[in-house]
Amino acid sequence: MISSKEKVLGILFPNSYDKVVPELTNLRSMASIPFASRYRIVDFVLSAMSHAGIDDIFILPNKNYNSLTDHLGSGREWDLVRKQGGLHIFPPYSTNASGFYNSRVEALAGIIDFLRRQKEEYILMADTNIACNYDFTDMIETHKASGADITIAYTTEEFPDCITRSETNDRGFYYCFEMDGSRITNILINLHNKGEHNFSHNVYILKRELLIDLINTGFLRGANSFERDILIPRLNELKVCGYEVKQYCARISDIKSYFDENMKLLDPKNLDALFAGASVYTKIRDDNPTSYHSCCKVSNIMAADGCSIRGEVENSILFRGVHVLEGAVVKNCILMQDTVVGQNAKLEYVITDKNVTISEGKELKGDADYPVYIDKRRTV
Amino acid sequence: MGKEMIAMLLAGGQGSRLYALTEKLAKPAVPFGGKYRIIDFPLSNCVNSDIDTVGILTQYQPLVLNEYIGNGQPWDLDRVYGGVHVLPPYQKAKGSDWYKGTANAIYQNISFIDRYDPKYVIILSGDQICKQDYSEFLAFHKAKNAEFSVSVMEVPWEDASRFGLMVADENDRITEFQEKPKNPKSNLASMGIYIFNWDILRKYLIDDENNPESSNDFGNDIIPSLLRDNRRMYAYHFSGYWKDVGTIPSLWEANMEVLHPEESGINLFDTNWKIFSRNSGYTGHTVAAGAVLDHTLITDGCRIAGKIKHSVLFAGVTVEAGAEIEDAVIMGGSVIKAGAKVKHCIVAENVTVGENAVVGAMPTETEKGVATIGNGVVIGAGAIVGPNAMVRDDVKEGETV
Repeated sequence: MISSKEKVLGILFPNSYDKVVPELTNLRSMASIPFASRYRIVDFVLSAMSHAGIDDIFILPNKNYNSLTDHLGSGREWDLVRKQGGLHIFPPYSTNASGFYNSRVEALAGIIDFLRRQKEEYILMADTNIACNYDFTDMIETHKASGADITIAYTTEEFPDCITRSETNDRGFYYCFEMDGSRITNILINLHNKGEHNFSHNVYILKRELLIDLINTGFLRGANSFERDILIPRLNELKVCGYEVKQYCARISDIKSYFDENMKLLDPKNLDALFAGASVYTKIRDDNPTSYHSCCKVSNIMAADGCSIRGEVENSILFRGVHVLEGAVVKNCILMQDTVVGQNAKLEYVITDKNVTISEGKELKGDADYPVYIDKRRTV
Repeated sequence: MGKEMIAMLLAGGQGSRLYALTEKLAKPAVPFGGKYRIIDFPLSNCVNSDIDTVGILTQYQPLVLNEYIGNGQPWDLDRVYGGVHVLPPYQKAKGSDWYKGTANAIYQNISFIDRYDPKYVIILSGDQICKQDYSEFLAFHKAKNAEFSVSVMEVPWEDASRFGLMVADENDRITEFQEKPKNPKSNLASMGIYIFNWDILRKYLIDDENNPESSNDFGNDIIPSLLRDNRRMYAYHFSGYWKDVGTIPSLWEANMEVLHPEESGINLFDTNWKIFSRNSGYTGHTVAAGAVLDHTLITDGCRIAGKIKHSVLFAGVTVEAGAEIEDAVIMGGSVIKAGAKVKHCIVAENVTVGENAVVGAMPTETEKGVATIGNGVVIGAGAIVGPNAMVRDDVKEGETV
């Protein structure tokens, strides 16, 4: 827990990587993508903040945030209903002069007056494309001890296929660090080289006054990207350090990685690693327990409450309220909330979004490299 | 502004016939149906029936119950005016008393009820499994212009003498009350759920308290007094699922009935009448390759690798590969190790059943019982717990109980 004298303000950007999974973000933000059978991806970073004693959090969406606001409500499930602080969602705000914002810098410039009024000494800001049980207390302590101006979380990892697979730069920026000890000496954007890199999580800790200053000067000079236009030109002048995240991370970079990161949780080692330590909070739906009927056959699955299983389910992730009827066969699938798989239907490598109905006897088959995705509320 | 009706929920019962399960918690806090506790049923009925003010009268081992209820948010009972209030006995200027009986418990909280100035008060019991719409019951009470109504169930005549019975005329007006009679004149059993006009109840509670002969109980004292005074008393026929889960066999049976919603009538899957509960906070459950699930309820946090038939598992239960479970109720956080056989029994919370241990047995013609393992008990590897055993202390490796 962080001492109350030097409180930390949390800021989340729920839309920053929307473009990498256009299928899932057509009707929602990256932050509210369903993950791991009963969570939304934002639950992980939000719970980690809450566990670290960060109880004043700003959320800065810029579009498609209906499902996010519905999910977060007042923030009660994350223990974020506070008289002082709590959860604040800032819907996009525009003056005639500025128009809606498109970047991190513009988003922060839009709330600069609020940032000035806050009392916290530090700001921790993060995107919502990674599910990880961060230890923010440790990260903040490390930041303070290092004397850095800015600390950025990263993992040293083999560059994910999905990044090198992508041929264009228009799906969002990825940042890698060249480092000297813990100090970041260079930030590379959208590297395509295979191999191990220090891959940024876009989780930043810095003093509130410094952020206000950086945004003010940056905005006036037409800065757009916080990393490209503000950080990179100042790497000599500011001490920018990396903080290596040791915890298990699931990064969503395209629909295939979404599928793989869910499936990886079927391995108990990964599941225990992701949920190690403090629990992850999410919105409660008060479903009944899941019912496995006599005629069912299940193997290697993860499921939430409220499901009813009468068919055969293998290597799959089932969200709340999924019904698999008699004779249906579901293999290597992700079935989101309230999906109904009709009698004798067969699904393989399929992702169904919420409230999808697969009619009796239908057969759909994707591939491990290319899972079939079915839109929210569709009937096949 | 006064409330139309508030609820007073009697939750002080020790539940002594549940032995090992209620050593450290009150009966209403006993887990039920995979992710609920008994008290979730009356509380959920209240919110689903538009009652937003509930007083919970506690006395025996209230710790778990108090923590579970908290501010009432899981049931939507965190309200600015009203909401849920836990009411333990308290010290007064003239001294302090435990709750002497059901009526005395309400008597001691007259000032709580007065604060809401209700027209009606419904008295509920915290040890029953029942889904009931109290607003329909209230509509009946009003339509009959009653001063007192009691919810009754028709029971088989041969069982009638086990219950408090209401004898009623063709208009449902109660003419006589028989408490566990040898020769029943009626088969309408009282469910222990009453609606009173608050002015009437208030008066009778005060009169009853002033009567030194009284046992301060609704069944023994208040209802007979009302009858003597020829008050307008009516019996409301309820025909849904209702079960007093005060004994180990009835608690086990009710859990098994949850597996057969159509036959038994206890449907936890009805989205229009949800039963709310405090969430466990676990992840989704997993079922490993090689596990066999047959007619079983599983909830969050379970890790299943064994073979499970016709059972109810609560949150966070681990069943290792090679374990076999049948007709069992396994409460939260328990671990069933490889090769263990757990049958026809109730295993309470945070129990460990060691490798190759045997707990309970399927009933035979000569021996039939529901084995019960108390909270936190460790059953050693290879130990055997017989079908009628009630285990409160750890069982050593290889031992037979």
